[in-house]
Amino acid sequence: MHYRASTSAQFCIPLVKAPLGLTQVPVGRPVAHCGGPTGHGDTAAQSARNPKQGQALDQPGDPRIAKLRRSIAKLETAFFRVTPTTLSLGVPEIHRHLPGPGLACGVLHEVSAASYGDAPAALAFLFALTSMALQAKPGLAMVVLSQRACAHWGRLYGHGLDRLGVDPSRLMLVEAATDKEALWGIEEILRSGVQPAMVAGALARPVELTASRRLNLAAAALAIPLALASPAKAGGESAAATRWRIGTIPASRDRFGALLNPRWRVSLERCRHGRPGTWFVEWNHVAHRFSLVEGLADRSSTQGAGLRVTG
Amino acid sequence: MQALVLVAPGKGGQRIVCLNRAAHAGGLSLGELLSNARSKVLDLQIRDADPAADRDALYKLAFWAMRYCPGVAVCDEASGADGLFLDITGAAQLFGGEEGLLADLERRLGSFGLHPRLAVAGTAGAAWALARYGKRNRIVLAPGTEQEGLKDLPLAALRLPEEVLTVLRRLGFRRCGELIDQPRAPFGARFDAPLLSRLDQALGRAPEPLIPVVPPPLYRAQAQFLEPILQQEHVLEAARGLLQSLMQDLARDAVGVRLLRLLLFKLDGAAVSLELGLAAPSRDAQHLAQLIGLRLYRLHSEFETDFGFEAAALHVLTAEDMPERQNQLAIAAHNAAPEELARLIDRLQHRLGAGAVGQLIAQQSHIPERAVRHSKGFSLPKIARSSSPPRPEEPLPWAPDLPAGERPLLLLPRPEAADVVALVPEGPPRQFRWRGVRHQVAYSGGPERIAAEWWRRTGEPTRDYYVVEDTAGRRFWLFRAGLYDRESAAPQWFVHGVFG
Repeated sequence: MHYRASTSAQFCIPLVKAPLGLTQVPVGRPVAHCGGPTGHGDTAAQSARNPKQGQALDQPGDPRIAKLRRSIAKLETAFFRVTPTTLSLGVPEIHRHLPGPGLACGVLHEVSAASYGDAPAALAFLFALTSMALQAKPGLAMVVLSQRACAHWGRLYGHGLDRLGVDPSRLMLVEAATDKEALWGIEEILRSGVQPAMVAGALARPVELTASRRLNLAAAALAIPLALASPAKAGGESAAATRWRIGTIPASRDRFGALLNPRWRVSLERCRHGRPGTWFVEWNHVAHRFSLVEGLADRSSTQGAGLRVTG
Repeated sequence: MQALVLVAPGKGGQRIVCLNRAAHAGGLSLGELLSNARSKVLDLQIRDADPAADRDALYKLAFWAMRYCPGVAVCDEASGADGLFLDITGAAQLFGGEEGLLADLERRLGSFGLHPRLAVAGTAGAAWALARYGKRNRIVLAPGTEQEGLKDLPLAALRLPEEVLTVLRRLGFRRCGELIDQPRAPFGARFDAPLLSRLDQALGRAPEPLIPVVPPPLYRAQAQFLEPILQQEHVLEAARGLLQSLMQDLARDAVGVRLLRLLLFKLDGAAVSLELGLAAPSRDAQHLAQLIGLRLYRLHSEFETDFGFEAAALHVLTAEDMPERQNQLAIAAHNAAPEELARLIDRLQHRLGAGAVGQLIAQQSHIPERAVRHSKGFSLPKIARSSSPPRPEEPLPWAPDLPAGERPLLLLPRPEAADVVALVPEGPPRQFRWRGVRHQVAYSGGPERIAAEWWRRTGEPTRDYYVVEDTAGRRFWLFRAGLYDRESAAPQWFVHGVFG
């Protein structure tokens, strides 16, 4: 009944490094992307050299590619759904880097902080995802917190969650003393037969390969988004489908200079069947959606006095 | 064996309150002065009596005795200490009749080094009298024959106060039988209430409620093992068997378990007690066994050091109505059944700790740290509420515009002091140092002024909150405690929260 870290994995999941092996996109190196619907940095340059291959990736609707992807997914996962469910991020530019139109449900996604001080931002991004999941589906969101995950930064604050667009009354918080118990709790939730709208976790250290495989297996039968936030330490090998790294950038301002919405530097570090990328996104908690922003916001108030009106 | 006595201060000096067999053989008796005893027995061992430890030991034994029956009471001071009442109604046949039970009890107590005096009777008073003043040990008195059985016993067997006994002796009474035959009216006029009521209790004419050490369960099941069991799996298997037999009773009465106690009786006379609370009434043996397994897992240190368990009992302490319900159709199953959620919460709570599952509840307050409560325990939404009227303490809704200002995602448990540089004392911060890191302020929004509620006269200073963004884009919630020049000369700054 208890969670064991050293268990024999029943399924061996081969890790595909390059997406489909069709293009030689350098994996692991974040590709800068600063607005513009088609520009892909390195990829754009590459597709100019080799137009045929670039085209193949830029058209996700290609039936051959979709068929290939499905057959690979079938080989790799124990449970395969004909129509994979996804949690839409609402940004087509990001979706183009992911295998489907949004975050795939039923697999693990990792959210980690870019540096120590960005841990709250990573947690906020996790709750932004939770907010979208709650919007998309009825039911509870279950959040499992390891005690040391955010002990440095305080406890979750209901009104703050409310400001991020999460309805705190639809949250079930589970607090565990250690990461091991938190992982047990997540797995228990996934295997319980309860259908929450989202399962989120916050851990004190990055999830290990075995643990992430177990979570993948437990989540595979469900159409629930599953995301884990972990601190800034370099993550080792894990079976997560994506790893997002979140950094802070100055928030957006209204025309009087007051802060409006949080903005993050979101880099997709690893993505199975997809490509990495980096974006600057703004979270709108009222509309429950992300939007891409220009690389730098208006920094005029940085230099000026604290309360200068910039309108 | 060396003579050993326990002494306590009494009239005229230290007096013996307890003695062993060797001391008794040496001619000592209870209540004797210690100085006399020393002169009678040369190598006398003397210890101070410890009534609190005696009482603890007696309670421990009472718990152990629950392996025979659930109703075990400890004799109180009025009825003479150092004894246990076991209500063996319906339990004797499990041990081969009343004689069998007594023999088993004596054998087991003997193995702990105790030499009990045992008796069975229809009333507590008669059993007490026979155990202490009976001609032999292990007397079994058939119900209705109390008068016969008590006839030859001395008057002390009636549990009477010492002064009443003295008067009775002076009047020439020696045996209980002489008292039983007397007319009641003169006695009622001559003596206080205890005499007749004790007599009636012993003869079964008046009720004598026993106060058990733990309240008796509503339902129970128990099992004895041929060999002591040591392993967690075996205990779980035994519990599973007990659950199966309990569930039939529960299903008959259409109730479900809310509070369950598993008692494991050790070979050395101790008992381990596990209590399991459930989020919703349940009659699912598999689920309950799972919960017991989770608790046993947390208890594993108990299993390593001991001799093993020789018996187990399962008590249902709280049960709630739980009508039969039709299983949901597979088609509608995607909408999770509330029972599933309740079971999940049970499992999480039993493995991770009682307060592990919680939720955030809005409170009627503007003070940030009082505006949200972390509740321990999760109230299941929309489960049993549909039929019951709304409760008065229904949680507040999370209104989108209350409070009006920005609020951080993470709130520090207590505000942490920060060194702030500001241009003017009541102005926004320009730069601050918190936890040894210097932050240059790029933007600050505010102030939002929050004062303590007027009815709390604690002298809390007024706070001016600022949302501060540093040059790296990280946002903090700072406040200045105390109004400059009115509440304090040098207001202090604190960091209270972090935005995502």
